[in-house]
Amino acid sequence: MKLLQNSGIPIYQQIAEAFRADIMSGKLKTGDYLPSIRGLAKELKISVITTMKAYELLEEEGLVTAMQGKGFYVNAQDSEMIREQHMRRVEDSLQDAIKSARIAGIGGEELMQMLKLLLDMEES
Amino acid sequence: MTEGVKSYYGREQRQMKDSALKMRDIKKKFRGFTLDIPQLEIPKGFSTALIGENGAGKTTLLNLLAGIRLDYKGEITFFEKWKDAERERETNPVREMIGYTGGGNYYLPNWTVGQAEEVTKLLFEKFDSDKFELLLEQLQIVERGIGGKAKKISELSDGNKMKLMLAGIFARETQLLILDEPASPLDPLMRDVLCDMLRGYIESGGGEKTILFSTHNIADMENVTDYAVIMEHGRVVERGFVEDLKEKYTLVKGESEDAEIAEPALVSISKNHYGFEGLCLTENLNQLAGLDMQTERPTLSQICVAVMRQNSRIRLS
Repeated sequence: MKLLQNSGIPIYQQIAEAFRADIMSGKLKTGDYLPSIRGLAKELKISVITTMKAYELLEEEGLVTAMQGKGFYVNAQDSEMIREQHMRRVEDSLQDAIKSARIAGIGGEELMQMLKLLLDMEES
Repeated sequence: MTEGVKSYYGREQRQMKDSALKMRDIKKKFRGFTLDIPQLEIPKGFSTALIGENGAGKTTLLNLLAGIRLDYKGEITFFEKWKDAERERETNPVREMIGYTGGGNYYLPNWTVGQAEEVTKLLFEKFDSDKFELLLEQLQIVERGIGGKAKKISELSDGNKMKLMLAGIFARETQLLILDEPASPLDPLMRDVLCDMLRGYIESGGGEKTILFSTHNIADMENVTDYAVIMEHGRVVERGFVEDLKEKYTLVKGESEDAEIAEPALVSISKNHYGFEGLCLTENLNQLAGLDMQTERPTLSQICVAVMRQNSRIRLS
């Protein structure tokens, strides 16, 4: 797990993102336990509360469940939810592209053309 | 307003489950200074930082909690079970459960390192001599063997004295560490080692072991701070889990012509020719609507400095 201290993205979100990716890719399977909160904090050299917040975020998203005294385990992932997660990522990336385009003074039309061109290149 | 701020706007603060220390109506008067804490709890299983200016009352409070000072009013409950009034009873396990380090001559200067070990062994039942010896070597406090232990405490540097005190408590089996400025005399590398030791302690407790430490170097200790208590003039002026505080406050940066308009809505502000920077209660961000500004999630240091500045009597101009 690579955590960036000065990326502007809170550490807890970076941790959540790393586990989210592992769950979506199947690296972490249904029923697998996440590392213990205090163990992970020690490994990553960060505070317990930051790790806890990352796990709570994953729990809110329905990706994991907290078991009293045992930790957090990975939920069965239905395909709809995984698709939703992927959609969210695509939306985030497109938002970034729109922001960059705005800074560069590129209009909507031109941006669409660019996307189409890139899609064509990918397909060919 | 950034995404991050919007999504956490108005979210409730985390509840504290169990406390390692509970204080009620604590009062201690000195000439020109009163420690006054109506209510304060330190969460069990976490690491809490006590932050404040010199003279804010941090050491006084820690001394009360560690049992070094007993002349105060109020009530302290340890581990939700034992009251401070019963602390001196033979059957009370609290003394054995707490590890304390602080300034001053905790070990007498004319003792040798070996004598310090002997005294600690006499005072506390659960003292592991092998672990102590290992720590002496790992932390490079004295040379290996009998010769090293013959070294006098007065011959040790401030950093090595602190390391020796830390070895003394980490060689024991405890449930709570009370550390008064543990990082101050240490060099940057040893501070990093200290943070690792603290995280290791919390991890080994699996939610049962607690740390309370005071510090001036909050930036060095930020990655080992779960709960923060900020003190000024003998009072607690802010407290909370760090991740909650980072949502409660938002750092704002704007143009200098807007500084006057923004100022009333901010906890604290610093201005220069090019703009202003201030800390705003996230719930008050709407008061700044329409201004050309950037927002950022603050670090714990930035929150502490802003809250301290708001309450401080120090003024440069």
